[in-house]
Amino acid sequence: MVVTADVYLPEDSELTVQEVNLSGSTLYAGSFHLGKYCETINNEYMLCRQEENDPRKCINEGKAVTACTLEFFRKVKKTCLAEFNQYSNCLDKSSGDYAFRHCRKTQGVFDQCMLEKLNLPRPGFGYFCEARVHDTKRPKPLPEPKAVYPDATPALPEDAEKKPPRLGSRFYWMTE
Amino acid sequence: MAEAFQVAKKQDLPPPGGYKPIPFKRIPAKSYFSGYTMFAGFIGMTIGSIYLYNITYKRILKDEIEMRSAKMAIYPALLAERDREYLKQLRRNRDAEAELMRDVPGWEVGTYYGERVYKLIPPDQWVEPIFQEYYAHSDIKEWNKRANIKLLS
Repeated sequence: MVVTADVYLPEDSELTVQEVNLSGSTLYAGSFHLGKYCETINNEYMLCRQEENDPRKCINEGKAVTACTLEFFRKVKKTCLAEFNQYSNCLDKSSGDYAFRHCRKTQGVFDQCMLEKLNLPRPGFGYFCEARVHDTKRPKPLPEPKAVYPDATPALPEDAEKKPPRLGSRFYWMTE
Repeated sequence: MAEAFQVAKKQDLPPPGGYKPIPFKRIPAKSYFSGYTMFAGFIGMTIGSIYLYNITYKRILKDEIEMRSAKMAIYPALLAERDREYLKQLRRNRDAEAELMRDVPGWEVGTYYGERVYKLIPPDQWVEPIFQEYYAHSDIKEWNKRANIKLLS
């Protein structure tokens, strides 16, 4: 394996937190409100993950994401459990891919409950497909420095005389 | 004498009034539509189906966008969990390799007798192991299960 002994891997104790132990239909049923509720934290994590391209550097952000997800579902459980269960049950049993279009009625009931009790409106159509702008305090990783080769051919000096070509252009087929 | 015993001969002749005419004329099947009507029907049906297709196409696009939205909304939560488990598994793999190659003199984990796979990168840089390396210490059943998903898709 390419992971040598020099590569730092976090200890298990650092990585063990309470995970989101929920099924697919449940996650899908809560997905839109969850995305809205944890928007900043999710954006922070995804930005870190994409910029660094290294799971080791975004563990704390990831833990925050999981904590926020758990908090959201706990709140839903406290306030809108019946409506939520109805909706996720509908999603689960109406189609093979948790399609939303079969469950507009139960979705309306659930959205109404979330709006009234948690003051969390359902985000607009295609909200999470849009490009997102995120302001973060984490410094941007430096770009890879340009490679310097000691045996590279030296370039022309800045003030070297550059004469016009003696035999015209050497562009494509125009010469020869 | 021979003439007296002659039986009256009857010649085979057409019936009185002659034979019926032979029905050689072609009887075509009953045609419900004329050619022009068929062309008009074809064009009409095509236009109608294009109309319906467009309606359904837009609905499917919308459904796909909605589904993608939902997936993107839960993706960070899933990815965070996956990252933690992945790092744990990498540590398990590394420990398994160290345990397996304990008796081989000169063997260093993650290298070929001290020769690294990627020589020019800093030693702590993140390189994702390929599938075969990641699953090297796993059960063959798990390997096959994953290979069917990953390597064939």
